[in-house]
Amino acid sequence: MDALGLLNYALFILILAGIYGLMALGLNVQWGLTGLFNAGIAGFFAIGAYASAILTGPAVAGRVGGFALPVPAGWLAAMALAALLAWPIGRVCLRLRSDYLAIATIGVAEIIRLTIRSEDWLTGGVRGIAGVPRPFGDLPYLTAQLAYLALVLAVVVVAYRMMERQLHSPWGRMMRAIRDNEAAAAAMGKHVERRRLEAFVLGSALMGLAGALFAHLNRSITPDAIDPMIVTFLVWIMLILGGSGNNRGALLGALVIWLIWSLSELATDRLPTEVAIQAKYARMFLIGLALQLVLRFRPDGLLPEARRTRPRTQDHP
Amino acid sequence: MSAPLLTMTDVRGGYGEADILDGVSLHVDAGEIVVIVGPNGAGKSSAMKAVFGLLRVRGGRIVFDGEDITGWSPERIVRRGICFVPQVDNVFRDMSVHENLEMGAFLRRGDLSAAFDRVYALFPDLKARARTLAGNLSGGQRQMVAMGRALMLEPRLLLLDEPTAGLSPKYMEQIFRITRDVRDAGVAILLVEQHAKQALAFCDRGYVLATGANRCESTGAGLLADPEVVHLFLGG
Amino acid sequence: MDLYEFINFHLIPGLLLGSIYALGAIGVTLVFGILRFAHLAHGDMLTLGAFLALGVAGLTGLDPWFALPVAMALTAGAALLIDATCYDYLRERPRILTVMASLGVALMVRAVVQMGWGTDPTTYATGIVRPTEYLGWFLLRDRELMTFAAVIVLVAVLEAFLRLTRWGRAMRAMSDNPDLARLCGVDNRQVIRLTWVIVGMLCAAAGFLLGINTEVWAMMGWWALLPIFAAAILGGVGRIDGAVLGGLVIGLAEELSVLVVPAQYKSATAFVILLLVLLFRPRGILKGKVL
Repeated sequence: MDALGLLNYALFILILAGIYGLMALGLNVQWGLTGLFNAGIAGFFAIGAYASAILTGPAVAGRVGGFALPVPAGWLAAMALAALLAWPIGRVCLRLRSDYLAIATIGVAEIIRLTIRSEDWLTGGVRGIAGVPRPFGDLPYLTAQLAYLALVLAVVVVAYRMMERQLHSPWGRMMRAIRDNEAAAAAMGKHVERRRLEAFVLGSALMGLAGALFAHLNRSITPDAIDPMIVTFLVWIMLILGGSGNNRGALLGALVIWLIWSLSELATDRLPTEVAIQAKYARMFLIGLALQLVLRFRPDGLLPEARRTRPRTQDHP
Repeated sequence: MSAPLLTMTDVRGGYGEADILDGVSLHVDAGEIVVIVGPNGAGKSSAMKAVFGLLRVRGGRIVFDGEDITGWSPERIVRRGICFVPQVDNVFRDMSVHENLEMGAFLRRGDLSAAFDRVYALFPDLKARARTLAGNLSGGQRQMVAMGRALMLEPRLLLLDEPTAGLSPKYMEQIFRITRDVRDAGVAILLVEQHAKQALAFCDRGYVLATGANRCESTGAGLLADPEVVHLFLGG
Repeated sequence: MDLYEFINFHLIPGLLLGSIYALGAIGVTLVFGILRFAHLAHGDMLTLGAFLALGVAGLTGLDPWFALPVAMALTAGAALLIDATCYDYLRERPRILTVMASLGVALMVRAVVQMGWGTDPTTYATGIVRPTEYLGWFLLRDRELMTFAAVIVLVAVLEAFLRLTRWGRAMRAMSDNPDLARLCGVDNRQVIRLTWVIVGMLCAAAGFLLGINTEVWAMMGWWALLPIFAAAILGGVGRIDGAVLGGLVIGLAEELSVLVVPAQYKSATAFVILLLVLLFRPRGILKGKVL
């Protein structure tokens, strides 16, 4: 790869780091703030991606579309739809104990995936949706990448600012009170279930937005564009490693893990095919191993939350 | 006079950071029933749990049959001949009466029929219900299962934590009677009781605890006769 | 559709799948009951067992059914190793961390399988097997008969172990009341190890039976995870009989769902049932624990 190609790739990697950072921020609201174990991140990501793609993309025979809405509208819709889906799921599943919530969210993500694959009239089925408009897409390639990177970074900064404000607001303090001692918080009449639902919905909206940014980056979205398990897992380890409960930690974790993941992909792609395939699984193994190691040796992550070690959940040992 | 079976000397300790016990001393001789009474929060159950290794002991000593068992784990202590009946969650609810007793004898190998005979002789009500799930029994019957379970290992010392809590007078009377039978069979008994008057009436000796430390000790009758004790600690 | 078709193309396949789910659900319910967490790596442990059987059969030339006991032993060993390295140190911390660790284990086990055998589906034996007709009504292949037999034997042996042996009782006691079990002198660590051995063996059997009736591929266990959990929760967490009942119900429901919903949504059936159970009767049909 020549220098220009390498630079473009580097920018691409950074853009994706931003997108993952957004997901990590969303997960932080759910896990870091309220101890909710959402194992179905990929589902909300997909909802956002498809929502924006359908609303902003071109018309195609046999599929709902052709609304040709402006891109920002698509992104707002992505957030709204992800939030809308999170609401009933949250109402049903949030009062379950965390393991059951994990299973339920895994199920939700699977159902979303199934639906996306099957309902051709809505999502284009296995072929997906192409021709998704890309902001600044008409610029020369390198400039377009830079512009999109700037856009994504802007979104991340805004999201970060908003999440920080939420964190330090009375709402945020209440959330942490609920997380750390639910019984006491409930006794104080803090409408625990309602708060948890809010956190779940908010976090999901951010994940939906990340999905939309992804779809517009690639100008398309298909059911296999991401490996749901890997994406879900990467975001989790980003948050745990970075320091859950902590927005800065979420972003740092996203950057670090994504860089490691991408660079390792770059390194192994150059190997002969058979070895490259093995290397892909080896990397998956290492990611799983990394989670065990972080849980064991550095459960507070790189940037631990100021006063507490790590979020405890509603079930204490 | 032979040495006591169990001796607690100036024991201090608690569950977390704070100490609940602030220097408790008592002893139990073989073949006697000793009761610990006192107001709520006095540390009565904690003193008993300290003996069985369920509390972190930070000072003092506990000696059983000449051996220092301070700081031992419950698994080790149960092998030495002390059995403990907790106040709550003291049966296996999804297992039958007979299986509960079998679990009591988990540490023993070989033929258990003699142990079963002894326990069923003490609790004939249970023999009739040997196959009933413990969770389906009444409170009093469950308490009998709990005690029977602890007796399967033929301990030399039995610890009972508020055995009559929440029971009707009929069952309370039965439990006290059975406790005396167990004592007569050669098992020393240390029990904590909220129904202080009844407990002091049937025990050999008693200790009154308050705020984690000893207040008085005497025979059961002696404590009952002491008006100060009766007024201060036994609710008149 | 007539009765013959219904029995042989829906009922029997449903019971077959259901009995395999039952084996998986028993393992999940044992982990729920004794270790008290959702074992998200259960599906991939099934996959591991299936592939170990494949590997052993390939290496030794044994009939796959004879490779199964070896695979069961190996998977039991793997389960012990995983517990010692990935779950043991989390014992004193909030349970949700163990659940998270198990998700990581799932990924690792799957990666190992993919590294060892690739992602292309494979089978234990090649060739088409025709079913035989029994009693004029039932069409069954040999492997299906053997699957039913294997499940019945395994469940019977497990039940006998749990009811009639000292350590089986210790496991039930620990599931019932772990603190009291400790007071009786039961060594919790040994019971935990025993549990993993049994769970490993059951996973290998379930994975093998699934593989021999469908095909063996790296995602097979992950796909079965949701139905297996649905089965365990539907039947009542902590109950073996619940797991068996739940497994059969889920298996039947999946096979019968194609009569009412488009075929692609077959795998959604288990999830819908799971949600309904969690909403309306979280303790399950046979009233299991509330953890």
